[in-house]
Amino acid sequence: MRRLWALTRRNIKLYFKDKGMFFTSLITPVILLVLYITFLSNVYEDIFLGMLSGVGITVPDKLVQGCVGGQLVSSILAVSSVTVAFCSNLLMVQDKVTGARRDLTMTPVNSTVLALSYSLAAFLSTIIVCLIAAVICMIYLAAVGWYLTAADVLALILDVILLTLFGTALSSVVNFPLSTSGQGSAVGTIISAGYGFLCGAYMPISSFSDGLRNVIMFLPGTYGTSLLRNHALSGVFAELESLGISTEVMTGIRDSIDCNLYFFDNNVSQGVMYLVLVVAILLCAGIYALMNAAAARKRIK
Amino acid sequence: MTTMPNNVIEISHLSKRFGDIQAVDDLSFRVKEGELFAFLGINGAGKSTTINIMCGQLSKDKGSVNISGMDLDNCPDDIKRCLGVVFQNSVLDKDLTVLDNLRSRAALYGIYGTAFRRRLSELAELLEFGDLLKRSVGKLSGGQRRRIDIARALLHDPKVLILDEPTTGLDPQTRRLLWDVVAELRRGENMTVFLTTHYMEEAADADFVVILDGGKLAADGTPLELKNRYTGDFITLYGVDERRVEALGVPYEALRDAYRVSVANTAEATKLIVENPELFCDYEIAKGKMDDVFLAVTGKKLTGATRA
Repeated sequence: MRRLWALTRRNIKLYFKDKGMFFTSLITPVILLVLYITFLSNVYEDIFLGMLSGVGITVPDKLVQGCVGGQLVSSILAVSSVTVAFCSNLLMVQDKVTGARRDLTMTPVNSTVLALSYSLAAFLSTIIVCLIAAVICMIYLAAVGWYLTAADVLALILDVILLTLFGTALSSVVNFPLSTSGQGSAVGTIISAGYGFLCGAYMPISSFSDGLRNVIMFLPGTYGTSLLRNHALSGVFAELESLGISTEVMTGIRDSIDCNLYFFDNNVSQGVMYLVLVVAILLCAGIYALMNAAAARKRIK
Repeated sequence: MTTMPNNVIEISHLSKRFGDIQAVDDLSFRVKEGELFAFLGINGAGKSTTINIMCGQLSKDKGSVNISGMDLDNCPDDIKRCLGVVFQNSVLDKDLTVLDNLRSRAALYGIYGTAFRRRLSELAELLEFGDLLKRSVGKLSGGQRRRIDIARALLHDPKVLILDEPTTGLDPQTRRLLWDVVAELRRGENMTVFLTTHYMEEAADADFVVILDGGKLAADGTPLELKNRYTGDFITLYGVDERRVEALGVPYEALRDAYRVSVANTAEATKLIVENPELFCDYEIAKGKMDDVFLAVTGKKLTGATRA
């Protein structure tokens, strides 16, 4: 256990001390922030107000800002949980490139401990970054329009933990076979550039074509984003409902910002969303364990 | 009465193939406890493959590896505790401090807390790096980094120290320090040193030498045995006329202010001197060098065999 912790501590320190790796992992949330500042917040505000004015309802500005802010916060946490995990888990590739991996495997440390240390460090590094991001997001929401309950905040933290576990498990599987810095950079770039779109953080999945939407619904990360959206906006929705907005209009709003997801026209409940995430985490973790076992067997043979 | 040292490494009929390439081919050798053992060969001769197998980094196809009385197949982790490796290139984490690097590596051998601090203090004194503990490894000079590499290899007090071309690219002062440390470890702790090097003068100081060629053992013995077996003696004659040297009827070469005569062995050199006492007034006799041995055994020169 002490060896696992020693290795994990080393990996976490390396992630935070490697400025290149650290800042690369923050590219996606930064892009998202820039998109919101430049135009996305206005787009969402217009869509939201348009839907409400269509049914003749006006809402306080604080509520509008709370809704737009909730989308921003859920998007930032959704992408950070996965892209930071991917980038911090690239240490397992970097160690092969620098030869540090060879130095570590020269010691009597168990290969399972070594494999676990990368994942545990990636998880803890990501959680640290995401929780700091979450605190900043909460401060922002408090400034523009706070509608969250304590339960919502706890649910958001649970979502971040689950999504981080998913990002860690998936990145462990994807990064495991990589052995050159070129391959590592390629994966880091693809994930940083693409994940925001794929999980619906940049643009709602509801605005995509039917074909693309159906494909994206097979990706577990989508459900994590939706869970975050639901919990970041549940207070806003409760406030809207208290203003007497009809169920149809509320459903329309929820559909437009991916709080409701449809798998081939079937509404996916939040319970199923959690289930999909947990199964995906266990599946990736299992594959990672098998990959490590196969590699260890190959070395012994 | 002195007792014969035990074999600390026993490699028997070791073979390893990568696809069509037979990297190690039926290799057998022994390393005695406390010995400075030189493992020579050009790149691709099978040195690294053998070391990687010994360290549990690679599987073997055939043969057995026994280190410190333990079989590699049965006790890989115990064997890892017996080995300390200084790689050709530093493999420490450049973004971490020296202290963090050594602490994290020591923990992998189960060395923590007071035990770690005690060992760190011993190594810092031995390798003179006490003032570098708070500095990032990436910011150290080549020589300073080498000292930390050695400290890392010695953290768990290994029985065998494997030095994989340890002095390549080092300045003379650090090279001297490294060999002083190695000498002290051998003297004080009877540590066995397993050396691969491209520098033949380092191999000449070894107790025993194995030369690999094409994955096979090409020659082995003490430097003296190898020199006697594969090279002759050289007599350098000063202040003589070339015609008289030529009259000896043995191969020679003209130097700037002397002639160097090649003879098969020391007995032949003695015979030549005794038969021509008037010619041998000012002379030197020397054995061939390890470079000559290597060339005679493999037909190849080791890259980097000479250095400034």
